[in-house]
Amino acid sequence: MISHRDRNAQRISALDERAEALHLKRGMGIADARAMHPSIDVVEADPEADRRLLEGLADWCDRYTPLVALDGIDGLFLDVTGCTHLFGGERAMLDDILARFFHQGFDVRAALAATPGAAWAAARFAGDRIVENGEEEALLSPLPLAALRIEPDIRASLESVGLRTAGAVMAAPRAPLARRFGATLLLRLDQALGRLDEAVSPRLPVAPLSVERHLAEPIMLTDDIERLVRLLATTLKADLERRGEGARRLALLLFRVDGAVSRIAVGTSRPLREPLMIQKLFHERLAALEQDIDAGYGFDLVRLSVLTAAAFDMQQADLTGETDDCDADIALFADRIRARLGDGAVLRPVIVESHLPERAVATVPFSEVPERSSPPRKSGRNPPMTIYPPTTIYPPERPIRLFRSPEPIEVPATEMPEGPPMNFRWRRALYRVARAEGPERIAPEWWRGQCGEDAPTRDYFRIEDSDGRRYWLYRQGLYGASQTSPRWFMHGVFA
Amino acid sequence: MAMTAVARETVFALRRQIAKIEGTLSERLQAPVGERPGARADNDVGSGITPEIDVTIVRRGLAVAPPDAFLRTGAAPLDAALSGGLPKAALTEIHGAETRGAGAVAGFTLALVSLILKREPRLPVLWIGTSEIFREAGFPYARGLHTSFGIEPGELLFSEAPRLVDALWVAEEAARMTALTAVILEIRGSPQRLDLTATRRLHARAQSAGRPLFLLRQAGEAEPTAAPVRLIVSAASSASRATIAGPLAGSIGRPAFTVSIGKSRTALPGQFSLEWNPDEHVFEERRAGEHRTKNPVPVVPASRRRKDPAPASGAVVAFPAVASPAAISPTARDQPSRPQRPAHIGPRRAG
Repeated sequence: MISHRDRNAQRISALDERAEALHLKRGMGIADARAMHPSIDVVEADPEADRRLLEGLADWCDRYTPLVALDGIDGLFLDVTGCTHLFGGERAMLDDILARFFHQGFDVRAALAATPGAAWAAARFAGDRIVENGEEEALLSPLPLAALRIEPDIRASLESVGLRTAGAVMAAPRAPLARRFGATLLLRLDQALGRLDEAVSPRLPVAPLSVERHLAEPIMLTDDIERLVRLLATTLKADLERRGEGARRLALLLFRVDGAVSRIAVGTSRPLREPLMIQKLFHERLAALEQDIDAGYGFDLVRLSVLTAAAFDMQQADLTGETDDCDADIALFADRIRARLGDGAVLRPVIVESHLPERAVATVPFSEVPERSSPPRKSGRNPPMTIYPPTTIYPPERPIRLFRSPEPIEVPATEMPEGPPMNFRWRRALYRVARAEGPERIAPEWWRGQCGEDAPTRDYFRIEDSDGRRYWLYRQGLYGASQTSPRWFMHGVFA
Repeated sequence: MAMTAVARETVFALRRQIAKIEGTLSERLQAPVGERPGARADNDVGSGITPEIDVTIVRRGLAVAPPDAFLRTGAAPLDAALSGGLPKAALTEIHGAETRGAGAVAGFTLALVSLILKREPRLPVLWIGTSEIFREAGFPYARGLHTSFGIEPGELLFSEAPRLVDALWVAEEAARMTALTAVILEIRGSPQRLDLTATRRLHARAQSAGRPLFLLRQAGEAEPTAAPVRLIVSAASSASRATIAGPLAGSIGRPAFTVSIGKSRTALPGQFSLEWNPDEHVFEERRAGEHRTKNPVPVVPASRRRKDPAPASGAVVAFPAVASPAAISPTARDQPSRPQRPAHIGPRRAG
């Protein structure tokens, strides 16, 4: 028996068959239940875990259809339009779902209908049933009001005027109903009867291309999975070629025999369709996830989906049969690194128009590079990139390494109030400034919202310590501007 | 390696003998300066780098090694000491004594990369580092790299690995690629995992790909390595900026480095002062007798809030400057040697 706290009292939120046999009911206080049957077992409800379980089941239901939606806390919608023939018809599919859930240890009620509302009602009140098109009204008429998916208070007020079944509501005139009980009631009714369309929003986006293989004998070994990936990718290649596309994101779904589903995704820097490359990418990903994937009793369904596809521009080989594929090499290399170490593992700098040093360069994951213009370059030489505005003849001196966040340093004294420090302490070590250049005043970007106009300016100094190391320091704010003396920071290191 | 000239001559003679017996001369052998080498007869190609230095031939198997097998730094004494330059298709270790000197180590390496980029097709450069080193020593800053070394932001790739194992894996994968100009792997300290085997793996891949792999080790100790060359780099105080009216007092000019050879099969240990010209992208030798500014700032007492950190226990041992290949950098003389540091303090944060 599972309890939950509701309005400061422990109440029964769910109970098993044996508890039901003891005439306990949902919503009953735990104290009352204990008074009736002192030996009952009470477990605190854990909505988070319930949610996770439901999502796991939804993942598992992916094997029937890509369109799976969660319904409340205890239901799943499966949009099986066009999928039933793959499983031998509607009845066979429903039986298969019920049987598999039963073997996993779940008590499931399922029904199939043309509208989500009718299926919802049939599953909860009519049991394992297939509702044919047009039979919705006949199905709903004898059912209680709860089958209409309406709020409890609307239901209570309907019952108080004597409308106790859905059929009675359907027979009643619509206008007074809408006026008295709100639009929701009629909306739900119309949705259940198919007069209004109801969209079931799936949890996951539907992959444009998917290839899967049902296995008679479950597989457990990583090598087998990789081999299977290659087989699937070979099938996928034909589809991708027909569409003239290559995969940018791929997902591998491993359905375990006992219902757990592993989802492994890899991204590629450039559209990809070569099965060997796809296998290599998943090899790295699987190697990185070795501990996280528990094969258990094995996987009986493996699916490879293309989540994102992009146009694939063919590259023609020259007459010697060699193409200049340095970029392709690097792209594949970056993909493999990212497959194993995550998206941020290969970065490239991008120049940003800003005078703030930390904003002037952004690092982005390698794949986010804008597509290169075709035709491919001949020599592998990058076009010259202007990174400074042409008005600047001498670019400002900038350090070669920048600390991610400026590190505070202690500056005991400066020769002049606005001048460079004479010595400073950074990371507990004392440095004596031998020479200094500066200041270079860098004001905050007042046009950006977060730093207001009163944000302190920074005076940067390029200093060399007595050992010859060159650093980039700045003083935030000015002396005398406020009561507290300005703070100093170490921001970068020069060569 | 402090030996007399006679002993050195003997060593060179023996090496030449061995090479003759084996039928290969795998390295350039530098003859002692000012002395006539014993086996002048087998000098097919006497490519004098500087007039006063004799260089014996280079053979790999039977063929003469291609002239571009070495990366010439452009500083004549260093090139001569390295017998022609740094091997291009190899792992090269570049050490820094302390993490706070990471700018100099990285700067020297990038200068080498810039030299390569000048001569070869401009393929990307991959810089791999652990998260630790990028946090402690700063992340590479593309704008600065462009102004100082002429490396375009489009030619840079960074890879940040959370652990050393991952960084090594990335480096091994990258080292075998020919689509990169150079690979830089940056590591902090002396981890156990980066042993002879690991460096040999890196070296073998770099050799087969024919691309240089620079292993930057900040605050690392000299350990057995498969790299043919280990350099120890520290910052040197720079010269003043040159103006029409002479050097500008108190200004900070071009970056300067002190480079010492920590390991080389052929070279003698030595110390070199180099200056990088960020406009021409060439190394220049520091002119002798150049005036370096003295520290003009008087020593002031410690800061207001904290005292100086307690000195490390143990006696401070001075190392001879050139005698041992392990401790050559001038800063190492002021530091206690590593085993004498108190164990509970652990690695120093400041480097």
